[in-house]
Amino acid sequence: MSVYGGDSWAREAQHRKRRVGDLAVEGLDASSYKKLSSGKFACLVCPRTPVLDSALVLAMHCKGSCHRVALLRLEERELKKKDEINKRIAFSDCTVNTSTSTSNLNRIKSKPLIEQVRKAASEVLAKGNTREDVHNDGCSGKICGILRGKETSHVSESFSFAAKEAAEEVVVQPQLSIRERRERELNFTSAGWKRDCNGRWFKDENVEFDSDEEDPNICLG
Amino acid sequence: MYLYSLTLQKATGIVCAINGNFSGGKSQEIVVARGKILDLLRPDDSGKIQTVLSVEIFGAVRSLAQFRLTGAQKDYIVVGSDSGRIVILEFNKEKNVFDKIHQETFGKSGCRRIVPGQYLAIDPKGRAVMIGACEKQKLVYVLNRDTAARLTISSPLEAHKSHTITYSICGVDCGFDNPIFAAIELDYSEADQDSTGQAASEAQKHLTFYELDLGLNHVSRKWSEAVDNGANMLVTVPGGGDGPSGVLVCAENFVIYKNQGHPDVRAVIPRRADLPAERGVLIVSAATHKQKSMFFFLLQTEYGDIFKATLEHDGEHVQELRIKYFDTIPVTSSMCVLKSGFLFAASEFGNHALYQFQAIGEEADVEASSATLMETEEGFQPVFFQPRSLKNLVRIDQVESLMPIMDMKVENLFEEETPQIFTLCGRGPRSSLRILRPGLAISEMAVSQLPGVPSAVWTVKKNLIDEFDAYIVVSFANATLVLSIGETVEEVSDSGFLDTTPSLAVSLIGDDSLMQVHPSGIRHIREDGRINEWRTPGKRTIVKVGSNRLQVVIALSGGELIYFEVDMTGQLMEVEKHEMSGDVACLDIAPVPEGRQRSRFLAVGSYDNTIRILSLDPDDCMQILSVQSVSAAPESLLFLEVQASIGGEDGADHPASLFLNAGLSNGVLFRTVVDMVTGQLSDSRSRFLGLKAPKLFSIVIRGRRAMLCLSSRPWLGYIHQGHFLLTPLSYEALEYAASFSSDQCAEGVVAVAGDALRVFTIERLGETFNETAIPLRYTPRKFVFHKKKSLIIIESDQGAFTAEEREAGKKEFFEAAGMGENGNNNGEQMENGGDDEDKNDPLSDEQYGYPKAESDKWVSCIRVLDPKTSNTTCLLELQDNEAAYSVCTVNFREKEYGTLLAVGTAKGLQFWPRRSLASGFIHIYRFVDDGRALELLHKTQVEGVPLALCQFQGRLLAGIGPVLRLYDLGKKRLLRKCENKLFPNTIVSVQTYRDRIYVGDIQESFHYCKYRRDENQLYVFADDSVPRWVTAAHHIDFDTMAGADKFGNVYFVRLPQDVSDEIEEDPTGGKIKWEQGKLNGAPNKVEEIVQFHVGDVVTCLQKASLIPGGGDSVIYGTVMGSLGALLPFTSRDDVDFFSHLEMHLRQEYPPLCGRDHMAYRSAYFPVKDVIDGDLCEQFPTLPMDMQRKIADELDRTPAEILKKLEEVRNKII
Repeated sequence: MSVYGGDSWAREAQHRKRRVGDLAVEGLDASSYKKLSSGKFACLVCPRTPVLDSALVLAMHCKGSCHRVALLRLEERELKKKDEINKRIAFSDCTVNTSTSTSNLNRIKSKPLIEQVRKAASEVLAKGNTREDVHNDGCSGKICGILRGKETSHVSESFSFAAKEAAEEVVVQPQLSIRERRERELNFTSAGWKRDCNGRWFKDENVEFDSDEEDPNICLG
Repeated sequence: MYLYSLTLQKATGIVCAINGNFSGGKSQEIVVARGKILDLLRPDDSGKIQTVLSVEIFGAVRSLAQFRLTGAQKDYIVVGSDSGRIVILEFNKEKNVFDKIHQETFGKSGCRRIVPGQYLAIDPKGRAVMIGACEKQKLVYVLNRDTAARLTISSPLEAHKSHTITYSICGVDCGFDNPIFAAIELDYSEADQDSTGQAASEAQKHLTFYELDLGLNHVSRKWSEAVDNGANMLVTVPGGGDGPSGVLVCAENFVIYKNQGHPDVRAVIPRRADLPAERGVLIVSAATHKQKSMFFFLLQTEYGDIFKATLEHDGEHVQELRIKYFDTIPVTSSMCVLKSGFLFAASEFGNHALYQFQAIGEEADVEASSATLMETEEGFQPVFFQPRSLKNLVRIDQVESLMPIMDMKVENLFEEETPQIFTLCGRGPRSSLRILRPGLAISEMAVSQLPGVPSAVWTVKKNLIDEFDAYIVVSFANATLVLSIGETVEEVSDSGFLDTTPSLAVSLIGDDSLMQVHPSGIRHIREDGRINEWRTPGKRTIVKVGSNRLQVVIALSGGELIYFEVDMTGQLMEVEKHEMSGDVACLDIAPVPEGRQRSRFLAVGSYDNTIRILSLDPDDCMQILSVQSVSAAPESLLFLEVQASIGGEDGADHPASLFLNAGLSNGVLFRTVVDMVTGQLSDSRSRFLGLKAPKLFSIVIRGRRAMLCLSSRPWLGYIHQGHFLLTPLSYEALEYAASFSSDQCAEGVVAVAGDALRVFTIERLGETFNETAIPLRYTPRKFVFHKKKSLIIIESDQGAFTAEEREAGKKEFFEAAGMGENGNNNGEQMENGGDDEDKNDPLSDEQYGYPKAESDKWVSCIRVLDPKTSNTTCLLELQDNEAAYSVCTVNFREKEYGTLLAVGTAKGLQFWPRRSLASGFIHIYRFVDDGRALELLHKTQVEGVPLALCQFQGRLLAGIGPVLRLYDLGKKRLLRKCENKLFPNTIVSVQTYRDRIYVGDIQESFHYCKYRRDENQLYVFADDSVPRWVTAAHHIDFDTMAGADKFGNVYFVRLPQDVSDEIEEDPTGGKIKWEQGKLNGAPNKVEEIVQFHVGDVVTCLQKASLIPGGGDSVIYGTVMGSLGALLPFTSRDDVDFFSHLEMHLRQEYPPLCGRDHMAYRSAYFPVKDVIDGDLCEQFPTLPMDMQRKIADELDRTPAEILKKLEEVRNKII
C-alpha cells in the first residue's frame, strides 16, 4: 500500500474511517449531539456545547468525566422537571386554599427540620466530647488537629461551637491534659504508630521500632 | 533583591602556563591562565614569583601558546578561549597591560565540541598557528609581518575532518619548510554506524600530519599513521638543523618517537616499583629545554615523577630514545623551563612551586631506552624505579593555591574582631585546612624586649642621600633610648640626642642634621656635632609637633602654634606664631613637593571636632584656608601624597593628588582630598577601623608612600593597581610605628607594642586574605563545627592505602634499601609535614604522593581538630574499604547522649564500569573527653550512599540516593521512621528551617518539603522548574534558597509569597497531601530571583558578614580556589548607579579575550539582578579620558565613582 499511488488504499481508508465513525457514534444517544454542517459534532449535553472534530473524538468526549457529570446533572434536572410537572398536575386537582396551606406547612416544616438535625448533631457531638474528657477512652483519637508551633492557644478546628462552649465551662485542667495527651499521641504517630478503625494502635510495617519502645495501647489506654 | 558580586580572592589554581620573553629583553616571564584570569608572573632576583599583571577576562581560557616571529626579540601570546575567537596579545611593558593585537572570530561562543579553542599549536618558527576543537574542526592562521613590522594574521584555513575526535595537537619543527602540524585523532564514523560495538572496540587512534602550503595557501593532510591507542599527548621535537624533527607521542606506558618516513622508536616509561599492575603510566605534562648544542624533554607522569627524555640522533635519523628518572614533584598541569635555570611547576592541585636546576640529570639513574626494549610474550618488559628525594631540582619559592576548595565555613572561632574563613583545600596527600583571615600577611623579622614600656618610636637617617636608617629612637615616659642600626642593633650614647626626657618627634632636618623635639624644647643636632637648643617660652610645654624635611610646626599647651623653617645655612629659624582658639589635638605638615622650597599646607586638628588647613606660604602665612568639621575629635593627622601615574607599575591612570587622613577618637579614619592649589577640602570618606582612635604613620611600601593606621588592629592604606586599598594587617595591636630600612630589610616597619620592639615587613600586597594551613591526610570532603571550638573533618581518597599499610610498606622499603628506620613512625609524622620540608623524611607523601592501590580501594578518616592549637585530638581511620561522604552533628530528642556525630559512608564504591557499591552506612559517634575524641555508638546499614545528613526536630534526616528518610536513634541502630522516595535522582543537600525541609537534588535543583507529624509523612510541596545540577546549597530565609550548579552559576530561588502563605495557612494540610503537580512535579514552583554565571564551579556557599557590624553577604568558594561575595543592595539608587556603570563599562571596555561580558554572565541562564563588581572595579584601570567620559554620562566625577566603588567594597570586607 503506497501512500502516493494505489487509489484503493485511499478509498479503503476513507471507508474504514467512516465505518469507525459510525461505530463510535452508534452507542450514543442521537439527541445528545448534533452533526454540524461542517461535518463536526457539537455535544448538546455539556453546558458549553463543545465542538468536536470527529465522531471518534466525540465518543471519547462522551466517555470523559466532564461529560458524564454534565449528563448526570441533565438527567437530574430532567427528573426534577418531571417531578415538578407531576406535582403541579396533582396540585391542580386540589382546591386553592388547601394547596397554599400545605405549601406553607411544607415551608415551615422544611426549615425547623434542618435546625433540628443540626441541634441533634451538636448534642451528640458535645456529649461525645464531654464523655471523652472524663473517661479518656479511645474515641479521642477521632478528634484530629495538628499541633503547630505558632498556635499556642491550641484549639482544634474540629471542635464544634457547642463543644467549645462546653469546654469553656469545665476547668482548665482537663483541657491541658487533652493537649498533653494530643502531644503524646502525635509523638506516637510520628514514631510510626498508626491506629485502626477501632482506635487501637498498631505498628506501621514500614517503620522500625526499638525493642523496648512504649506501646501506646498500654500507656494511653 | 539585587546583588553586587565581587571576587574577594582571585582564583589561585592554574589551568595552563607558558613561558617566554613577553616584555622583550632578557627577562623570563610566565603567563598563566587561572580559568577566567590571565596573569603575568616574573621571578624576581631573589627567586620569588611576583605577579606583574592580573587581568580578569570574563571568559574561560582553555589554552595558551606563545610564539615569536623570526628575528624578533619578543613573544606574543595566543589565547584559545570560549569566545569563539582567536586572540593574540602583546604585553605592553610601559603601561603594564596586555594589548590586544588581533581578534579573529571563527565560531560560536561557549565551550562546545566542535568550536575550536581547546587546543593550540604553534609552528616553531612562528609562521602559523593551529587552533583546534575537541571534535572535527581545526583552523590554521598564517602569521606574518607587514612593511611596518607589525604582526598580521591571515583569514583562517580549514583543516577539518568530520567524525574525528582530537586528543592533542602540536607543531612539527621542520625548519623553514612548509609548516606542519601533528594531531592525535580518532575516527569514530564506523563506530557510530556499527550498533554491535565491534567497530567501536576496533577503533584506532592515528597520528596525522597537516601541512600548510604557504605557496598555495592551503592546508592538506599530509600523512597519517596508526598510533598506540593509549596515546594522549604530543611533544614537538626540535628540527631544522637543531634536531631530527618529528614528534614524541606520549602514550600509556610508552613514549614513541615518530616522524614521516622514519621507523618508530619506542621506549617504556619506568614504573614505580609499588605500582599495582592494573595501573598504567600516563604523561600529563611536558616541557622542552633547548640550547644551541643540545635539547631534552622533561615529561611528568600522573604520579608526579619527572623523566628526562633524550634522543640520540644522527642528523635526521634517531637511533635511540632514552627516558631517565629525573626527580619527583607534585603533579603539574603545566611545567615551564625558564632560560634562567628555573622550573615553574603549576600544580594541578595545591601550591605551585618554583624550582631551580641543580643539575640536568647527567648522573646515572634508572633509565629506559629504546635500544634495550625487550618484548616478551606478555608484552614489553617494564623498567622499575623507586622515587627518591630531589637531586636535580631545589625548591626556592612556592605560590599558595587554595584549589580546589572542597568546603568552606565562616565562623569566629578565635573570637577575633572579624570572623575567620575555614576552607578545606587540596586533594590527596596535599590537602589542608586553611584558615583565612582578611588582612595582609606580615613576616616578623625581630622582636626584642625593652627596659620599660615605650610610648613612641622613630627611625632617622644621618643624611638625606643615605639608603638606610641610622638610628632607632625609642621614647619612654621619662627617657629616650637611641639604638644605632648596623650589623646589629645596639644602644649608643654619642648620638647627641637628649636621653633624660621623653621625645615628641625625631627626624632628619635639612640635608644632614637631626632634630629631637621634647616637651621643653627643640634640639637641633648638626652634622658636625654642634647642638642648637631652642627652649619654650615660660613654663609652657610643647604638646604636638608636625614636621617635614624643611619645616617644623610645634603646638604649645594653650593652643599657640610656632612655625620654623630651615634656612639656607641649615639653621632652624622661627618664622611665624599663631594663636589657636583652643588646645591643638594634632597637626601635620604636607611633604615638601618635588622641586619646591616648602610645603604650603599645615593641618591642625582641634578638640572642637574641626580640622583646619593653614597656609605656610610667606604671603599668607598662618591664614586659615579651609575648615572641615568631623564627627569626633581628631587624634592623628597625616598628609599622603599620591604621585601621578600613567599606567606603569600600578596599572592605573590618575593625576597627582594630596589626601589628608585623620584618625578620629571614635575609631573612624577620615580621608579627604586637599586641593593642591587652594587647600580646599573635598570628597571626604570615612571608615571605621576599630575601637581605638587610629594613629597614622607614613611608611614606604614598594618605593611608594603608604599609610599605617594603628587602631585596635593595624591597617595599611596603599595604592595597588590603581585602587586605594585599606586592609588590616594580620598582626597584634601596635602602639606606635615608623618605617625601617636596613640592609637586611629594605622596606620594613619598626613598631612598639607593650614592652617589645618589633620589626616586620609586609608581604604579598594586593591580597585580601592571609592563610594558616594545617595539613590533612586525605582529600577533605566536608566539615562541621562542634560547640564552636573544634572541627570535625571527614576525608576520603580512592585508590590509596591506609596509614598502617603505608607505614608497613615504607618500613619494608627502607629496610630493603638498608636505610634503617629513621624515626618517622610516630603518628604525628604521618601528617605529611605541610610547609616545612622535612629533611629526615626521605619520602614525604606531600611531595611524592601516596603509593597507589587498586582503584576500588578506599581510605578514609574522621578527624577532630582543635583549630586554636592546630592539633588533631582524635583521628579515626575507617576500616573495611569505607569512605566518608557526609557529616553532621545531631541532638536526638529525649535521648541521653547529648550531641552526637552522624557520618554517612559508602563501602566499596566504584564508578566504573558503572556506579556501584557494596552498601552505605550511617555511623553514629559520641563525643568523649570533652568533645576531643569520638567513640562509635553504632552503625546502620543503608542501601545507598548517604550524601546528605541533617538534624531535624530531634531526629536525623538522611538523603540516601533518591530517598529522603527520617531516622530516630535506637539502641543498636538507627530506626527508620519515615521516608519519601519520590525524589528524581540523588539527594545531595538537605537543609531545614522550622518544619520545612529544603532538599537539593543532584540534577533537579531544590525541592521544598514539609513533615507532618500527625501523619508521619514527608510531602514535597514545591520544586524548581529548571533542572539544575546542584553543587552547593544554602538556606537564606524561610522561602529562599541559594544554590550553585556545576556549570558555574549561582542562583537564588524563592517560593512566591502567596503560595508560601497558602501553605502555612492550610490548617488541615489536606491541600498539600492531595494536590498533584503536572508530570510528577510538585504542585507549586519556586521562582528564580537571582541568577549569575560565576564562571567557576562553586562548591560551597554561606551567608556571613566579614566585617564587624556589617550586613550579611553570601560568600562562596570555588574549585579554582577563589572566594567571592554577593552583597545585597540596600538602596535603589545604588542599583541604578552600578547598573549604569556596568553598562557603560561593557560598552567602553569590552573584555580582553573577546567574550561579550553580558553573554558570559548569562552563559547558561540570563543574568538576573546581579551587578558584576569585578567589571565595575576595572574602572580605575581605564584611560583617564575614558574614565571622565563614563563619569560624565553618569553625572559624576571619576573620583566619586572610585569612592562609590571603595564604599561598596568596604561593606563586604
